Parts: sequence; structure tokens; C-alpha cells
Amino acid sequence: MSLTLTSGIAAAFGNGRRRHMPLLVGGAIMALFLLFSLIPGTFAPYDPLAFNYMHLSEAPSLAHPFGTDNFGRDMLSRVIWASRIDIQIAIFCTIFPLVFGTIVGALTGFYGGWLDAVFGRLVDLVVTFPFLVIVIAIVAVLGPGLFNMYIAVSSVGWVFYAQLMRSGVQVQKQSDYAAAAHVLGYGEARIIFRHLLPNAITPIIVYWMTDMALAILLGSSLGYLGLGAQPPTAEWGVIIADGKNFMSTAWWISVFPGIAIILAGVGFSLVGDGIADIFRRRH
Amino acid sequence: MSGEAGEALLSVRNLRVAFGSPQHPLLAVDGVDFDVGPGEVLGIAGESGSGKSVTLRSILRLIHAPGRVSGQVLWRGRDLLALPEEELRRVRGGEIGVIFQEPMTALNPVLSVGLQIRENLKEHTRLDAAGRRKRAIELMDHVGIPAAQSRLEDYPHQFSGGMRQRAMIAIALASNPQLLLADEPTTALDVTIQDQILKLILRLRSEMNMSVILVTHDLGVIAQTCDRLAVMYAGRLAETGPVAALFRQPRHAYTLGLLNSVPRAGQLRQPLASIPGQPPLLSRLPRGCAFAPRCGFVLSACREAPPPLVEVAPDHRSACLAHQAVAKA
Repeated sequence: MSLTLTSGIAAAFGNGRRRHMPLLVGGAIMALFLLFSLIPGTFAPYDPLAFNYMHLSEAPSLAHPFGTDNFGRDMLSRVIWASRIDIQIAIFCTIFPLVFGTIVGALTGFYGGWLDAVFGRLVDLVVTFPFLVIVIAIVAVLGPGLFNMYIAVSSVGWVFYAQLMRSGVQVQKQSDYAAAAHVLGYGEARIIFRHLLPNAITPIIVYWMTDMALAILLGSSLGYLGLGAQPPTAEWGVIIADGKNFMSTAWWISVFPGIAIILAGVGFSLVGDGIADIFRRRH
Repeated sequence: MSGEAGEALLSVRNLRVAFGSPQHPLLAVDGVDFDVGPGEVLGIAGESGSGKSVTLRSILRLIHAPGRVSGQVLWRGRDLLALPEEELRRVRGGEIGVIFQEPMTALNPVLSVGLQIRENLKEHTRLDAAGRRKRAIELMDHVGIPAAQSRLEDYPHQFSGGMRQRAMIAIALASNPQLLLADEPTTALDVTIQDQILKLILRLRSEMNMSVILVTHDLGVIAQTCDRLAVMYAGRLAETGPVAALFRQPRHAYTLGLLNSVPRAGQLRQPLASIPGQPPLLSRLPRGCAFAPRCGFVLSACREAPPPLVEVAPDHRSACLAHQAVAKA
């Protein structure tokens, strides 16, 4: 039993070549945050919103490993509960761009012509603006809050997926197997989505992983600016913003959520790298 | 198997494929006519750039803009070049199958071979899922893929070159086409595998009573497999006829040159004769016969206008003004 386990781990780590190391480490980090976000109550020792005036701004200790904030709230619990919001941000900010951008990119790459021209100009229009500026502008119009942030990010973010997919499909549609699918009498929808799209999806998946990391950073940035999640909701960016006034007296309020952001970002990026690596090897 | 009017399965008439601007068109295929009879294997031979692959591809309208195709491709009475896209789709893959030169790239790398066979069955037959699976195994078995059942879910990269070509043939044949278009199906393969694949195509031809158009630059392949041969040069037909007659007594200077440049086993060692010069650029075709600048039999009339394709023997046509001189050579 223990023998199979050790050989399994040895195999996973790849005979000293450590080929899947990034994927394993990234996957472990992602799994940890997923667990935190699914069942935060199991891991968090205290209620993240409960004030405790007996323990205001306490330094990290055994009872409060990450310390407490200026209301006496347990920082470890707040960081764990905040991962629920931030994972949600990572998914909801990217899922629409992923699906919509991929479809738009596949169609414009395949058909070209006026469709491509129209979407091409739309893409140009969006990329000329700095990403953060345009997102902040949209949130400013719609009003602050998580939902409006999703709308703002989604309405801009799909462009990058569409660009990636468009070029991928343009390459794939020149291939012999695409011609073969054509002479087998398959319809265009089948050729695009069954044959071309799966062959061009790899960079999309890799970008998606990076994009989720960026979405967490963006969500935290907007939270910090007061445009994303609203207090008292525990969200990493919001917590950092709350703690910035106490940096000289209670550094732990801002530092631990900061570390959580970095860790989540690294986790997603490692998974993206690992997936890209596997696909590179296969080709 | 004369393949002449009436009984032909496929008749190509005055096929022209032009690329480039309308003011300065480059004619990749210029006025090609041929017929394929039921169960017949027609070979189309020629050098690179002679228009043989373009001819094959234009049969199923695989030439995309800016290429322009004109003429007629009559498939069982219907002109494929004028058919609506919907009906053409039923012909593609359903009635006419295609296999390509590169089995490495013509299979989709991310779908399993079994799935790719089943996909064609789904598109062109009424079999249910279980029936499609059974038929896919049958087909793989039929084209000589060993342990078909266990290889059904394998991906193209797990197959060798020859096995991939067999898989591609299985996909093309899934819906029992009456005509198989093969674009240099053996060029990318080892000689021993080449032989196996050609024998496979011939066996399937007789078992399924299917016609085949085989495009190749390999005269050995033609001699081994084809009933009739069409030789192309610079987008035009140089000579057509039964393979045996054409090999015994070529009636076009170009065909003669091609045959003389092939080494023959069992003969005294002789230096190989090659055709001097290069094929002409499509943008700079001579006014007369495109082969005239390289031809040893050239007459002054050859340089005036392209010679018409005329019958020089029963079912044997040549576009060579010097065909009698060539026949005696």
C-alpha cells in the first residue's frame, strides 16, 4: 500500500526530471483555495465578520495565527472566507470572455470577410484603451459592486480570447485534415467546432489560467479602490485597503491577504504553464 | 472499359482553373476532358505544377477563391460545379471519397481514429451508434489494421505512416463511395508500404465495385494499378489512353520522354535519358505547345498554337503534332 503510494508519487514527479512539477504545485495551490472557497467554515476558526473588542489589532499569536484587525476580527478567518469571493471573481470574470471570445474568434477566423472586418475593428477599439481604465470607466457608469465588475470585465475581456482563437483557427483551417473534413461532406458548424476548435484550444486554456490569476489581481485592485466587493465582505483587495491605514502599527492586516493574492496568482499561472508544457510535449 | 460517352460515371468537360487577376489569369488547368467508367482506375500523371492535383481538387470544388473553376464536372448526370452546396455535401464523402497525400496531416490529431470513421458514418448513413461502432471496426479490419477493436480509440499519432493511410482509406470508404479520388496516396510512404496500400486500393476497388482516380508522378505506380492514363503537362492533357497501349507505344513526345527517364529492371545498364530543360512557368507559357521548347520532335507548327487532342488510335488520344514520329521512335 505505502509502496504503491510512494511509487505513484515518484512517477508523478517524473523520475527526477520533474516534468509535471509546476502542474502539481499549481494544482495543489488551486485545490487548497477551491476547498477554502467551497467550505470556508471548516477551515476558518472564527466568524470572519464577528467583532471582538477584547482583541483589537493583535499581532499574530497561537490563538490568532494571522493576528486580528482594528475591530478584533480574526484575520486567518477573513483571509479564508475572502478566498470564496476571489475564486468567484476568478471564475465569473473569465467564464463569459472564455466562451464568447472563443466562439467569436472561431467564427471570424473561419469565415473572415466582413464578419472578420467588423469584429477586427471592435477588437482594435477595445485594445487601444488601457484595460484597467476602460474597466474602471464602465464600473463608474454602472456603479460599484461585484456584479457590475463582472459585466465590465466581461465586456472587455472576451477580445483577447477572440484574438487568440481567430489566429489559431486561421492556421488550422489551412491544414489537410480540415480539407479532409470538407470533402467528407461535413457541415461548417461541425468543421469549426469539432475539428478546428479542439486543435486551437490549447493557447486559450493556458491564457484562461493566466487570466484567472489576473482577474484576482484586478478584483483585488478594484476592491482596493472601492469599486469591487463592498465592505464588510471579506475580499483580499478590500482587506488590504482596510489595513493600509494601520501598516505601521498592524502590518499583518494587509500582508496576509497580500500573500494569499500572490499565492493564488502563482497557483493559476503554474497550472497554465504545466498545461502548456504537456501540450508542447505532445506535438 | 472505354469510358466514352454514355456509360461514364464521371465526365469532366473543358475544365479550366484560373488563378491570379482576371486581366492576367494563370491557367493551372486549361481545357481538360476525361471520363471515368464504373470500376475503372484512371491515373493522372505529370510533373509538379502540371495541374494534376488542381484537377482532382476541382472535381469536388475544393478550389477556393481567388481560384476560378469553369467547365463541367458531370457526376452521374449532375454538374458538380453547379450543384447547390447542400447537395454537394451529400456527394462529398457520401458518393465520392478522397484520400490525401500526407496521412500525417490529413487526420485530425485530436480525435481518435474510430471517432473519425464513425463521424463519416453518422453524416452519410442511417446507422445507429452501435451499428456505427460495429461498422467502424469492420472497416478498420477491412483495410488491414490489425486488432481493429482495440485500436478504435487510438489517436493518429499512435499509428505508423502506413497504418494512418489505411485509417484514412477506412474513413473515406465508410459510406461506400462509388468513386475514390486519391491524391498521391503513396508518395509519403516507404516503398514496401506503398505496394501494400496500392494493392489495398485495388482490392477494395474490385470488392466495392468502385472507380478510382489516382493522381501521381510515379509511372511505376500507374503501371501497377491503372486501367487508363491521362498525362498532363502545363495544365493541359498531353495524352490519354489505356495504360498498356500508352506504355507500349506512347504517341506524345512528352510521354515518351517520361517513359525513357524511368529505370527499367532486367535491362542492360544504360544512362538514364532525361528531358532537357524545365517545365514552363504558368505566367510565361509559350504560344504554341507548352512542351515545344524541350521537345526533340518539334515542328514549326508546334510553336503556332496549342495542338488539339486528337484520336490517334482507338481510345487513345494525343495532343502531339509529331505523334507519328514519336510512335516510330
